[in-house]
Amino acid sequence: MIEASALLAEIKKNGVTHVVGVPDNGSRALYEELWADPEIQVVLVTREGEAFALASGLYLGGAKPLVLIQNTGFFEAGDAFRGTAFNMSIPLVMIIGYRGYKSMEPGAERVDTAATFFEPTLKAWNVPYYAIHHTSESDQLSAAFSKAAATSLPAAAIYPGELI
Amino acid sequence: MLDKYVCLEKLAARRSDEIVVTTMSVSMPWARLSDGPLDFAMVESSMGQAPPFALGLALAQPQRRVIVLNGDGSTLMCLGSLVTIAQNPPDNFTMVITENGTYEVTGNQPVPGAGRVDYEMLARGAGFAHVHTIDDDDDFDAHLPLHFAGEGAQLFIWKIARTEEPVPKPLHYIRERARRLRQALTDNA
Repeated sequence: MIEASALLAEIKKNGVTHVVGVPDNGSRALYEELWADPEIQVVLVTREGEAFALASGLYLGGAKPLVLIQNTGFFEAGDAFRGTAFNMSIPLVMIIGYRGYKSMEPGAERVDTAATFFEPTLKAWNVPYYAIHHTSESDQLSAAFSKAAATSLPAAAIYPGELI
Repeated sequence: MLDKYVCLEKLAARRSDEIVVTTMSVSMPWARLSDGPLDFAMVESSMGQAPPFALGLALAQPQRRVIVLNGDGSTLMCLGSLVTIAQNPPDNFTMVITENGTYEVTGNQPVPGAGRVDYEMLARGAGFAHVHTIDDDDDFDAHLPLHFAGEGAQLFIWKIARTEEPVPKPLHYIRERARRLRQALTDNA
């Protein structure tokens, strides 16, 4: 289990000003924490590709954005990610929900390709990523921020299941 | 019908410290008029993403106006961004849709719905309160000041004549364009 409040604490510790994305079941608890926080502005977009363009503009304007989406949205956003955050060399951190993670466990009835495609896609797109399976691993989000800052390129924190 | 080159010249003559984001068939004509750190040609594909990119700039720089010049084909690629912008429209945001009905830089193939789509209706339906369709020079001259000082997010549809514009090739690599834009916006922050 991962407590959304622990991720929020990591987000604030890293000075995030704006969270851009599309809510889903997995991220619901974190979005609720963010909406309740007056220090962070949440900007919803209609499709995930917009999130990368919008966050890139925020960064070039001097803000510190974070993208919060599901892995399916990451797939959809491919060309926008490439043409904005990656090509513009934005040290952008994204938190991406790992939909279908449990379907990869032995004995699962059917596999969710959102899960099986996910990590190979991150690797193919040269995105370093850090997994958060439990609240105790929330500091992996800070590791993603450090990696993004060191490379001046996007980095991801990924989490399976739902946040609570 | 408007001549886009004349429109761009008039816009450039009035422009001071606004950020100008351009796409596709407008990028190189604009670069011939202005190619400084505050001019950002967004042409490396990611077609349709210039308006949300400009929105991010406008949210981060509320004291500075951002003008995004987007084609009709680019607008169709990411229609949802009209809703994204209109849900919380910044006062310092100006969007122009240059409507010529074609993908000009790839040979003027028609865009879907060319001549049938009502961009003003789409923008109003998405939630834009200030939308202006302009199709002659007098109307353009009358609306020009609003591009820079209108209250609330402004959206203009320029009905432009089609031309022959090659694939845009900016002078500076995209990482350099991004670096100098950020530097111009944050160095004295």
